[in-house]
Amino acid sequence: MRSLERLTLAHLWVAFAAFAIACFFGVWQMWARSPLPAPFVTPDNYFLAVTEHGVSMAFVLTTFFVMGFGYFTAETALERPLPGKTFGWIGFILGLIGAAMASYAILSGRASVLYTFYPPLTASPYFYLGLVLVIVGSWIWCVLMIVAMAQWKRANPNVPVPLAMFGTVANAIMWLWTTAGVAAEVLFIVLPASLGLIHTIDVGLTRTLFSWTLHPIVYFWLFPAYIAFYTMAPKAAGGRLYSDLMGRLSFVLFILYSLPVGFHHLFMDPQEPAGFKFLQMFLTLLVTVPTLLTIFTITASFEIAGRLRGGRGLFGWIPALPWERPMVLATGLSFVMLFFGGGGGLVNMGYGLNAMVHNTSWVTAHFHLIFGGAVVVMYFAIAYEIWPRLVGHEPSSSMPQRIQLWLWFLGMMTMSLPWHWLGLQGQWRRVAQFDYSNPIIAAWGPWVVVSLIGGLLLLASALLFVWNLLFLYRKPEAARLPFRFALPVHPVTHVPASLNGFGLWNVLVAFLMLAAFGWPIAQAFVIEAPHAVVHRVDRGG
Amino acid sequence: MPSFTASIGEVSAMTQPPISEEGQDGRFATRAVVTVIAIVVIAGLLGFVLIPIAQGQSAGLSAFQAICRSLGIQPGSPAFRQPSSATVAQPVSMVAWTPEVIERLHRPNEENGSDIAANICVSCHIESGAAYDPKIPHMEGQSAFAIYKQLHDFKNGARVNELMATIVQNLDDDQMADVAAHFAVLTKGALDPRTISSGDPDIVRLVEFGNSARGLPSCASCHGVHAGGPIETPTLSGQRKDYLATQLQAFAKGERHNDIYTRMRSIAAKLRDDEIEKLAEYYSAQLLFRPQD
Amino acid sequence: MSNLEQEILRHERRWTAGVIIAVAVILGAVLYAAFALHVNPPSNIETIDPKTLHLSAEFTESNLGTRVEAGGQVTTRIVTAQFAFNPQCIVVPANEPVTLRLASPDVIHGILVTGTNVNSMVVPGYVSQIRTVFTKTGDLLMPCHEFCGFGHSQMWATVRVVPRENFRPDANGRVACEKS
Repeated sequence: MRSLERLTLAHLWVAFAAFAIACFFGVWQMWARSPLPAPFVTPDNYFLAVTEHGVSMAFVLTTFFVMGFGYFTAETALERPLPGKTFGWIGFILGLIGAAMASYAILSGRASVLYTFYPPLTASPYFYLGLVLVIVGSWIWCVLMIVAMAQWKRANPNVPVPLAMFGTVANAIMWLWTTAGVAAEVLFIVLPASLGLIHTIDVGLTRTLFSWTLHPIVYFWLFPAYIAFYTMAPKAAGGRLYSDLMGRLSFVLFILYSLPVGFHHLFMDPQEPAGFKFLQMFLTLLVTVPTLLTIFTITASFEIAGRLRGGRGLFGWIPALPWERPMVLATGLSFVMLFFGGGGGLVNMGYGLNAMVHNTSWVTAHFHLIFGGAVVVMYFAIAYEIWPRLVGHEPSSSMPQRIQLWLWFLGMMTMSLPWHWLGLQGQWRRVAQFDYSNPIIAAWGPWVVVSLIGGLLLLASALLFVWNLLFLYRKPEAARLPFRFALPVHPVTHVPASLNGFGLWNVLVAFLMLAAFGWPIAQAFVIEAPHAVVHRVDRGG
Repeated sequence: MPSFTASIGEVSAMTQPPISEEGQDGRFATRAVVTVIAIVVIAGLLGFVLIPIAQGQSAGLSAFQAICRSLGIQPGSPAFRQPSSATVAQPVSMVAWTPEVIERLHRPNEENGSDIAANICVSCHIESGAAYDPKIPHMEGQSAFAIYKQLHDFKNGARVNELMATIVQNLDDDQMADVAAHFAVLTKGALDPRTISSGDPDIVRLVEFGNSARGLPSCASCHGVHAGGPIETPTLSGQRKDYLATQLQAFAKGERHNDIYTRMRSIAAKLRDDEIEKLAEYYSAQLLFRPQD
Repeated sequence: MSNLEQEILRHERRWTAGVIIAVAVILGAVLYAAFALHVNPPSNIETIDPKTLHLSAEFTESNLGTRVEAGGQVTTRIVTAQFAFNPQCIVVPANEPVTLRLASPDVIHGILVTGTNVNSMVVPGYVSQIRTVFTKTGDLLMPCHEFCGFGHSQMWATVRVVPRENFRPDANGRVACEKS
């Protein structure tokens, strides 16, 4: 096996191992919250599980998957060896040590602060240092992606960067901007508190810095799915990408408008001024645009494919598509979940409606459907698509892959649709046990059980996914074909220089971040907001 | 879009764009910059000027006041007048944690602490002491923050106890911190086997799970090992049974009221007498957990 | 530009126009709420030291709960602490503007009131302020909806909305739930 395959596989296995373990915790959490008696339900165990589930899914699965897929794309899209592979391995080792350190802190009960940290609750320093190492490892990945693209551009002047790599580097650049917030928060506030160097912290500032990261991080997770939409799904469907330019535009719009919008997670917080919440809400409206453009472009691409296969009439192209191919099926399922999850997002986006759903199960429904559903189903499809290149074998059948994808879709819909309804009823979040003797809460019971059933389907799907990767790829590959990405309908010979690089967008992002976050962060220093005492969760008393 | 299928064949026969490439690039970049700036300006105008002024007008606020509120320079909403009231402070405890006090409790003057302990405290507060009384709490391994707060509260009468009030009258804040930290590191002796009970399952449930219907958080959610509750939370493990029961009763009746924002009064008032007895028994039989572990 | 490119561009322009219209409609709804209904997110840049909250005048224990101030405005002050609301039951009048003011002496908490649009975080260091009108009478549930530690699941309070004729302040303007 060549070293690139080893590097990619190493990352993907860490990602999927963390994912599978987190699924078990997720099911137990839902069982604990349901009216059905569950074992080991103490608040300590519940919040340990929530922290483990959140950190594994939001930090480990995602970061390692993005990195592994990025390394793969860099070599295959650019058709040249990845530069600095040694650094890639260093980044991997750092990330692995970090993930292990953080896991140890969480599983020993010293870090039950959930993946959003909740200052002034303060965990063991190993928890924060572990996550710092994961992020530093990912920064190494970012640099390697940027270097790979820069070297390719020097060797191919005036040629458009292949779309898959353009998207990957867009993600890398966005990630560097994204992590600045949480890095500042951890370096200057949370870690000193955790090491006992300071005893009080400014909670408002800490939350503001975290919100800098909290929204764009979900687009960091989402980019691989969109890269697959643009560069893998049309080919799998047997057609072409409707517009390469639209893909570039979407990626660039994500960089611009996913960063200065973190306050929509803080709409109900007192410490952010109302005018800035409005500004960031306005910008959030704009981050819907690249998704809506993508939906159009990919649907059009699929229509081309369907009609090439003989589909007639207004919708005849839909059944004509090759749904037996996992990448095509996953894209279709992803779009259905994107419809519901994105629709929920539109509700969250305006602070009036947000007041009805903030910190209720509606929010839980939204991000499980949009990330756990629409994005993760594409992670599965990407893994299935590139696995033959990585392990040198084809799958003996695509049926287990399709079953696994359908199970994931059905599980996710069954689990998260009831949560929307429960959230509107006022069911609130992060509860280890509900008091089902209260008539208001008792009415929720049956729906909580329905969600639990969805969770069980998801666990089955997760286990089947791992099984598929381990045991399904047994057919010797017929010929080692190079990995190819989708071609656009109109071959790209020229794109505007701004859509072939990121200089302009970095400048605009700096401007947007200054406008959106400048005063709110400065405010904490100008008004000298009072500090709160640090509450340690890693020491006894 | 049936024309596509026919046009796919046309793909290779594309024409050059009419405008020069550099000109096109420049125009695209300019449009992008103008669009982004325009978006921020429009959003800013709406959010910081137009909306606050319109809202402020009906609330009787000047444009300046309304804009200041939307920027966060003044408190309140641009849409309403701020409520006001006049009240008198009636604090239940004067202890306020400052970084200086916390630092002193982490890094005390150890010699000072052991001197004061030996001269003043030990005779009552450790088991082999001459004035040993089952209602007196023992101090070894207790949280330094808990001891400090109670000493302070005894001194100014927030917690009522004539004997303790007299004893601590001459201690200043630093001395209280030193002696509090001294006890925090002392190890505990062996458990008295007569106090170990079998652990009533209802009580264990209350300690570990709480009770949502009664609005009772689990005792462990503050008094547990990795709880993250208030820093002045005392260690209950291995404490004298009679002392624990007496204090819970005092909280329940409101006779002891130096717990900030009724955090113990509201809990104790919901407990039955037999639950108080059993909780005291449970905790007195638990192994001591040292706060610095 | 070839016919194919022009056709693609035409479709894309139409779709983009549709997207911008959809986005504008949502923005329009928000602007209507802001201008006509005076809906704002709960922002109140009013700092208060959590470490000395119990020493303050406004948030002293005896001043918590609902009070009718001079001038007739109804203000309810609540302290959210680990792990209970103070007070655990509040009374508010129906169909009258009520201002809720909340503060935390320790960690982040949050509140929602079921069946209403009352929703706010309570961040130590700041006074949270919400102004609303309760329309339905009865007992509403007000849980703490933000993770505040291991006792979070048991932290809830009751909001009792009473018709105006039953809302009778005492000599100090205070209204409290009857002890059951």
